[in-house]
Amino acid sequence: MTALLSIRDLSVAYRGNGREALKNINLDVAAGERIAVIGESGSGKSTLALVIAGLLPPSARIEGHIDWQTTEFRSSHSFAPPSVLPEMSGRTEGAKDRQPKFVPLGGRDIGLVFQDPSASLDPVMTVGKQIAEVAHTHLGLDWPQAFARAKTLLERVRLPDPDAAMHAYPHQLSGGQKQRVAIAAAIAASPKLLIADEATSALDTIVQAEIVSLIRQLVAEDGMTLLFISHDIALAAELADRIAVFRHGELVELGTTAQIASAPHHVYTRALLDAHIGLDTEPMLRRAGASV
Amino acid sequence: MSSPLLAVSGLAKGYHRGGKAIAAVDNVSFAIGPGETLALAGPSGSGKSTIARLVLRLVEPDAGRIAFEGDDFLALNGAALRARRARLQMVFQDPLAAFNPRATVARVLNDPLRIHGIASRAERPRRIVALLERVGLSPNLASRAIHEISGGQRQRVAIARAIATKPSLIVLDEAVSALDVSVRGDILKLLLDLQTKERIAYLFISHDLGVVRAIAHRVVILDAGRITESGDARAVINAPQSAIGRELVAATPKLHRTTAP
Ligand SMILES: Nc1ncnc2c1ncn2[C@@H]1O[C@H](COP(=O)(O)OP(=O)(O)O)[C@@H](O)[C@H]1O
Ligand SMILES: Nc1ncnc2c1ncn2[C@@H]1O[C@H](COP(=O)(O)OP(=O)(O)O)[C@@H](O)[C@H]1O
Ligand SMILES: [Mg+2]
Ligand SMILES: [Mg+2]
Repeated sequence: MTALLSIRDLSVAYRGNGREALKNINLDVAAGERIAVIGESGSGKSTLALVIAGLLPPSARIEGHIDWQTTEFRSSHSFAPPSVLPEMSGRTEGAKDRQPKFVPLGGRDIGLVFQDPSASLDPVMTVGKQIAEVAHTHLGLDWPQAFARAKTLLERVRLPDPDAAMHAYPHQLSGGQKQRVAIAAAIAASPKLLIADEATSALDTIVQAEIVSLIRQLVAEDGMTLLFISHDIALAAELADRIAVFRHGELVELGTTAQIASAPHHVYTRALLDAHIGLDTEPMLRRAGASV
Repeated sequence: MSSPLLAVSGLAKGYHRGGKAIAAVDNVSFAIGPGETLALAGPSGSGKSTIARLVLRLVEPDAGRIAFEGDDFLALNGAALRARRARLQMVFQDPLAAFNPRATVARVLNDPLRIHGIASRAERPRRIVALLERVGLSPNLASRAIHEISGGQRQRVAIARAIATKPSLIVLDEAVSALDVSVRGDILKLLLDLQTKERIAYLFISHDLGVVRAIAHRVVILDAGRITESGDARAVINAPQSAIGRELVAATPKLHRTTAP
């Protein structure tokens, strides 16, 4: 397997926070795989997304490095990497190390989708313009081409009326529709890696299932690598090839979805599985006359 | 059901948005017995929270009747309404959000005891300790500010606040939805324990059918303000009859575990 990115001895600490948000993480993400990152709140999932995308606040202290398979990026794009010389294998380094190396750019090489689409959408810009802007900025398309691409993307994310949506403002759309727009914007520059951080957590079950199936389809069609972050182990298992379990900033277990779901090695993974309440879980309620 | 604790019939509430009329709740009827859990499930926008607000009389219905503890709840006002409100409490997703985050846990629990005249000023500190212990929290937490305690602890404080007035019914609107799974299980156990020992009934609103199936006696499935089906929670969720019921079940993530090694 070709690793799209290799995370090595990575630790992250936020300023003013004594505890490290990520502790000595080692993780290879294969090109084209769907990997889920699961864990409870505060386990470091979002920090992992941000450090991979290069979006941590400058005050955060980063140790260790992320090696990127630069050829993966260059094969799909004809752009010059940002302000640096391309190498076969670039790395994102800790603050001390400022050597010129390939660093993928969030928004272009990495698409990001967050829990709250409103946070990533501009409330006073039409949906069409926001998506077109990504294509214009990162793919160098002229505006008519960029708008045409935006329209195609709105069709691909299956918005009910793409023509109308082009001219709509985010507040005119439902939560699920906004998330479809956010996904369209995230993939507008044909990123190699799509990171979805709790992208369906604010949606109801039915809309969540629709968005998950959309992400699955887009990732397959475009050959993207998917990093799917969720607190929901069952949801992660439905989408991912492999699952990484985080706890208190540490990667406690990494395995195939089948192994994690059926034969977890770590007690914490087992505890997460036991805490899951599914449609086949023994009801907690004991009722008179009901079999227990 | 011999004598329901809460009986809602023909409940309706409409809203206008952008010149368009929305039937948020449309001719909804159901009943809850003492010590029973009735769940409301349905997609977002199906009217669950509006029903909660109507039952709590935080908004007034356009039509319908609500009988609570044998009285016409919609006809109560003044002192009678205030007294009856003590018997009907609520816990929402982030129920302490309305408080000043610097308010202490003791303050949050002191209010209902004072407002409903449940305990004298001298007696209240002892009552607060008892409430904290009842929900599995250390009495040391009393002096802590709300923003200093974890999400799970906050939800326990919200439950303590709700049971302070000895209610017969608690409306829980997505009360466990934002909690981490390990914490969620303990909160559900606490709710079940309170129900068994104090015979409290719950109107339990959740979009999570797994949780509904685990803790509710009966379930009402809603779509666009209307009831599409209702019945025994396990029976309905194991074999939903309505289109939206089937869609909700199909959309619920399933963990496929092969037999353990
Ligand atoms: N901007 C920040 N400043 C300080 N601490 C932060 C910041 N963002 C996150 N943290 C802390 O880092 C830890 C990991 O947080 P996060 O990565 O958001 O976890 P998760 O996404 O799994 O909930 C937590 O203890 C959190 O409080
Ligand atoms: N105060 C309000 N003003 C206008 N529309 C409202 C208001 N409250 C609820 N609605 C509408 O009523 C419908 C039902 O909403 P709600 O009861 O919140 O559903 P749920 O809790 O099932 O998601 C939705 O279409 C919602 O937009
Ligand atoms: Mg997060
Ligand atoms: Mg609601």
